[in-house]
Amino acid sequence: MKNHIYKSGMLALFAGVLLTSCDPEIDGPSVSAGTQLNLTKYVAVGNSLTAGFGDNGLYREGQLGSYPAILAGQFAEVGGGAFVQPLFTEAQANGSGYLRLTGFTSTGSPITSQVTTNLARREQNSPLLTKFTDPINNLGVPGIKVADVKTPGYGSVQGNPYFERITPDNAALQTYLQRVQQSTDHTFFSLWLGNNDVLSFATAGGASASASNQITPVGVFESNYSDLVNALTANGQEGIVATIPDVSVVPFFTTVGPQVKQSLTANNVPGMVAITGAGQTRTQFATAQINAPTNGVLFTLTSAAYAPLIGTKTGKYWRDLARQVSPNPADPNIVRATLQNLLSADKGYAIDTTQLFGVSAGNPWPSALLLDVAEQTLVKDATIAFNNIIKAQATAKNLAVFDANAYFNGIQSGFVANGVAYSPSFITGNLFSLDGIHPTPRGYAIVANEMIKAINAKYGSNIPKADETQYRAVLLP
Amino acid sequence: MKSKILALLGSTLLTGTAMAGGYQVNLASQRQIGMGHTGTGLNTGTSSIFFNPGAMAQARNGVTIGASFITAKIGYQAPESNKTIQADNPTGTPFHVYGVYGITDKLKAGIGVYTPFGSTVKWGDEWNGRFGLSELSLQAIYVQPTLSYQITDKLGVGAGLVVAFGSVNLQRVLPVQNSNGDEAKIEMDGGANTTVGFNAGIHLQASDKLSFGLNYRSKINMEVENGDVTFTNVPAAAGANFQPGTQFSAALPMPATLSFGIGYQASDKLTLALDISRVEWSAYKELRFDFTKPVAGNNFSANARNYEDVYIYRIGGEYKVNDALAVRAGAYLDKTPVENGYLTPETPDADSRGLSVGLGYAFSEKFGVDASFLYINKKERTDLANLSGGVPGTFKSIAYIPGIAFNYNF
Repeated sequence: MKNHIYKSGMLALFAGVLLTSCDPEIDGPSVSAGTQLNLTKYVAVGNSLTAGFGDNGLYREGQLGSYPAILAGQFAEVGGGAFVQPLFTEAQANGSGYLRLTGFTSTGSPITSQVTTNLARREQNSPLLTKFTDPINNLGVPGIKVADVKTPGYGSVQGNPYFERITPDNAALQTYLQRVQQSTDHTFFSLWLGNNDVLSFATAGGASASASNQITPVGVFESNYSDLVNALTANGQEGIVATIPDVSVVPFFTTVGPQVKQSLTANNVPGMVAITGAGQTRTQFATAQINAPTNGVLFTLTSAAYAPLIGTKTGKYWRDLARQVSPNPADPNIVRATLQNLLSADKGYAIDTTQLFGVSAGNPWPSALLLDVAEQTLVKDATIAFNNIIKAQATAKNLAVFDANAYFNGIQSGFVANGVAYSPSFITGNLFSLDGIHPTPRGYAIVANEMIKAINAKYGSNIPKADETQYRAVLLP
Repeated sequence: MKSKILALLGSTLLTGTAMAGGYQVNLASQRQIGMGHTGTGLNTGTSSIFFNPGAMAQARNGVTIGASFITAKIGYQAPESNKTIQADNPTGTPFHVYGVYGITDKLKAGIGVYTPFGSTVKWGDEWNGRFGLSELSLQAIYVQPTLSYQITDKLGVGAGLVVAFGSVNLQRVLPVQNSNGDEAKIEMDGGANTTVGFNAGIHLQASDKLSFGLNYRSKINMEVENGDVTFTNVPAAAGANFQPGTQFSAALPMPATLSFGIGYQASDKLTLALDISRVEWSAYKELRFDFTKPVAGNNFSANARNYEDVYIYRIGGEYKVNDALAVRAGAYLDKTPVENGYLTPETPDADSRGLSVGLGYAFSEKFGVDASFLYINKKERTDLANLSGGVPGTFKSIAYIPGIAFNYNF
């Protein structure tokens, strides 16, 4: 009798153990690169976005989560090869330094502080970074424009420190295009370049007279861009190119304006007076024009500190500027002289700080803090022209296109993925980092997945998508 | 601006979900599990308390105690991914205790304690759906005092009062990260108020060979009041959105079930049974939590469920090898109440197929043992989960459920 209990019990137990070791299998569509793609050597060409820049800096965590690194990780699932990035070392993990969120002011503005430890600076107070001259697959150089790719010495110590960092000492005058042309054995590439050809003008509020802050002429863009594409497709390689998003959809331009608009509306202020361009010329705009879809004006994120001063008698902006541009910021007398020049009518901007800031011709809103109608038109026209060139090149070479312009315009009202809400809102939207322009690591992962979608659609491949939730959004204090 | 930014931190809580879906657990008797969990039309002994109180009047005086050991395996694959994630579910142990005592020849009293609903699923804090669910444990225990009366030789009726207890523990990750990159977490934990319902049935022995049964178990609405909400790792900047001392209330219906069963005594040795149940899942419209303090700026969270009523089809048989030994087998098809677009990781439900085998051995007139083994295989199901705030992707569940029960008659 006992035997029977034992037997039946053991039988049930045995069956349980036997079967519980089997996990359910899910027969998803099998992943593959398809018949058209060879992903054994992928190179990424581009600017800060390609380098993994975020929070106004390039640092190791951002590099590890760059969209090319994420793409390469997914390519590895379907035969992709090794992908080397010019990573900062663990000891110098903070790279160029970056912004950290440390709190919020009593009025709710985010407070950021600059990370200054464990940097990769070669010397104190020098922009130059620890060199990385091994062969690399990620050629992303923060700050680079299409206009820069044929500039000799762009990688010299007087040039772009990020390009200097990866340029061998014996080739200091090599152009970016020449560096790209050196890569002949890649089998796949990504090219996302051109953002800075409009963005550096736009983020400076169109106020800078400096040559580096002007919009690139369309002819230069076309010639340089096609040279890059020709270099990358010299051996018939496949690849993906990406378009330039509208500047008006990033938090850098969408955060302060709506607050100003709300405050002006509440106080029945019909409009503001601002300086336009690099000179003294005044321009007026109506409150309703702020962040309006047509004839709109955009406030920069850098104007957040001055927006609460609108309508007061203040010269704070000009005092701050004087300290910044003065030849000797430590000497109060020299700073004072600089300020007098800035305020003067003959050498500066003809400012009377006893008038009401932002709402009077005597004390107008500074040009650098505003992308006005005329400036925005320039940016928009250039963006459209550049994107047409990018798409035409893609068509000519039969390349995949990630239409970043269409994508970012399409998500303005937000979306939900894996139970997390995303939007272009500053800090709360999870997509954009603390500089208001570059994505968070989570945002980059979402971009990488959009690129995978475009690659799969173009080449009939089935590259799996990455789990974007494994990458962080904004860290809160 | 402060109020706006801070109020929005982690506000995606409300896009997530909670609790279980097709969370019925039909494991009420080892003998009947072996027969595909049929029994409404049969005289199943003490377990008639559950299957059909109308048949309890024919049960011998006795006590049954049994338990099942559920090993549920759930695999998940995100859309356009090639990685399968396995939920790490602890072993579930639904149990039952039945006792029947004859007051007269025709009138019997009984009491049953059983666990007809419950769910435990543990996805962990790292999978891509963690903002929807990382862990859920839901339990319901029914206590059912019952009376059954044999009106004629052929017809018996019975009814029991169901007193239900329950508890829920739900954990999910919140989409806010502190300066170390740690994600915040919410845990909701509470016991349900005691609720009452009923279980009633009629049993008709139409002929020597043929019997019929009809059984209805009423809906019971489990309500949690003043359950505790615990937040961890919340960054100070988002503290106002996730306040300590928050409490929640919620309600979850345990749906009514109407069953019709047929028993057929094919020979002295062979009994066959067929059951059809209708589970009124449409009672489960939404899952709603009300909070005593705003969570992410909202006083409640609600997600649509909109379950539909479903039928379960069961067949089973028992063959008496000799006076002591019986062997059993059965199968069933349980249609899912979860409509397309409403799949959730709490219960990634799909049409399920169950296959069972069982053994019964009577050591004496008084003492017997039943062992059962049930294999459940749910269809692989891909869903956008866009209507339930769930997690899109493909789910596949299987379960292995051995069980054992002891009977003592006196």
